[in-house]
Amino acid sequence: MGVVVKKVELSWLDRTYVWPVMKGMGITLRHFFRQLFTPTAKRYTIQYPDMKKEMPEGYRGLHELKRFEDGAIKCVACFMCQEACPARCISIEAEEFSDLNITQGFEEKRPAKFSIDMLRCIYCGMCEEACPKDAIWLRKDYEVAAYDRLAMQYGKWDLMNTYAKADGKENISEDPTPSVPRRTIAL
Amino acid sequence: MDKLASLLHTSPAIAWMVAKLVIVFGGVFSLAALWTWVERRGAAMIQDRIGPNRAALFGKIKIIGLAQPLADGIKFFFKEDLVPNDANKGLFWLAPFLALVPALMGFAVIPFGRSFVSGGHEYHMALLDPGNGMGLLYPLAIGGMAVYGVLVAAWSSNNKWAILGGMRSSATMVSYEIGMSLAVVTIFMTAGGYDPSEVIKAQGHLPWAWNIVRQPLGFIVFFTCMFAETNRLPFDFAEGESEIVAGFNTEYGSMKFSLLALSEYCHLMTASALIATLYFGGWQVPFMQNPPVMLSVASFLVKMLFFAWVFVWIRWTLPRFRYDQLMHLGWKAMLPMSMVNLVFHAWRMSQGH
Repeated sequence: MGVVVKKVELSWLDRTYVWPVMKGMGITLRHFFRQLFTPTAKRYTIQYPDMKKEMPEGYRGLHELKRFEDGAIKCVACFMCQEACPARCISIEAEEFSDLNITQGFEEKRPAKFSIDMLRCIYCGMCEEACPKDAIWLRKDYEVAAYDRLAMQYGKWDLMNTYAKADGKENISEDPTPSVPRRTIAL
Repeated sequence: MDKLASLLHTSPAIAWMVAKLVIVFGGVFSLAALWTWVERRGAAMIQDRIGPNRAALFGKIKIIGLAQPLADGIKFFFKEDLVPNDANKGLFWLAPFLALVPALMGFAVIPFGRSFVSGGHEYHMALLDPGNGMGLLYPLAIGGMAVYGVLVAAWSSNNKWAILGGMRSSATMVSYEIGMSLAVVTIFMTAGGYDPSEVIKAQGHLPWAWNIVRQPLGFIVFFTCMFAETNRLPFDFAEGESEIVAGFNTEYGSMKFSLLALSEYCHLMTASALIATLYFGGWQVPFMQNPPVMLSVASFLVKMLFFAWVFVWIRWTLPRFRYDQLMHLGWKAMLPMSMVNLVFHAWRMSQGH
């Protein structure tokens, strides 16, 4: 059974074609003036290099390797993220902390190298999900581009400093000695 | 004017003629160039976008993107000028000028201000002085010539899509010219002459005595036909990206394309000047018997630019017609309407109004 489509009966005013045209022109003129008198910041268009879009909560952008308050890296080089990564873009080399150990309340391992190939990364957030220490976050920076491929290989220090400026922190290029124990050990 | 003429060792008439030439053609041409920007910017605003606002002079002075036509012009100048192998080279070169020249020439008879007397000479604010015997027949005739630009451009480029666009455009022109002419004839009848200055004088300075109030039907017909004449949306059948690639200018590039595009805007300017002259009292300032010359020029400019803006405004409001709808509208609506308009006013005149 077909559907009977009812044709809209046009009034004589609509059939003159002049009145509907004038109505339409009224609508476009309203849009024109609304846009004309809207300040640039409130328009729909975001004029990109001058203005940047504030990304919504939960946006998965450039990674950051988190640090503790004393500046030491949170990552314990457990390789969970490397295993979880579907694009296989994370590669980690672990090393030992020199003289601090678990009985003093410190982690014993840390990454000597932690690199993410940003050309391969698909920003799926699996590493963030897998991390037991909350050490890797995907945050809101989306301007990941470079002039050559090598610059897209983000190393440990790059990843630790990606949001340093946005958070008002110092850039660091070597692991500070951790001073505050991560947990109290009851012996 | 006398002093300037004696300074240049010419007669005031010649100096005035040269000044008018420069002002009118330079003015119309630069307004047409400016209107490419107004069109894009207006379209953007109507569609809640922003439009070209970044072109800057010397990379610094941004004045809301007003340098865009300049940038476009420079870009078009430095593009490679391609001519298709199988094109008719002579006509291919000629076509942009055939399109541009009539579009500019139509402006010649239109008075853009009140005539004034200075130093014993009478100066007329139109390239051709009133009483030249051509009057408003001239822009109509020249407007009819404009289709040659489109058709020659289409035919010479030896491209099927182009020729389709050109043929459609010329068919549109033929169908709408008749309705338009009849609407104008009605004005000639009521004004008692076809000289633009007579038409303007007959309308007087009171807005309710202008032809728009006296002949609203004629205005609607003439206005609609002007869209078909200038080949603009909703009747832009010379072009059509979804149907015939780019239409009549498919094979054109670089400055030749630019000239074709500019000719459309020149035509638009001429058309809006014609509308202002025929239906809105030309240079008449409302409620002012003998306005100062500059005020009359300003009044004419305001009217003309308003209608030029209406052309842009309508373009971004209305969807295109289908081709058979266009023909239907032209022959079955516009022509009878202008006929009724003509007969009605003839009858009124016979009754002694």
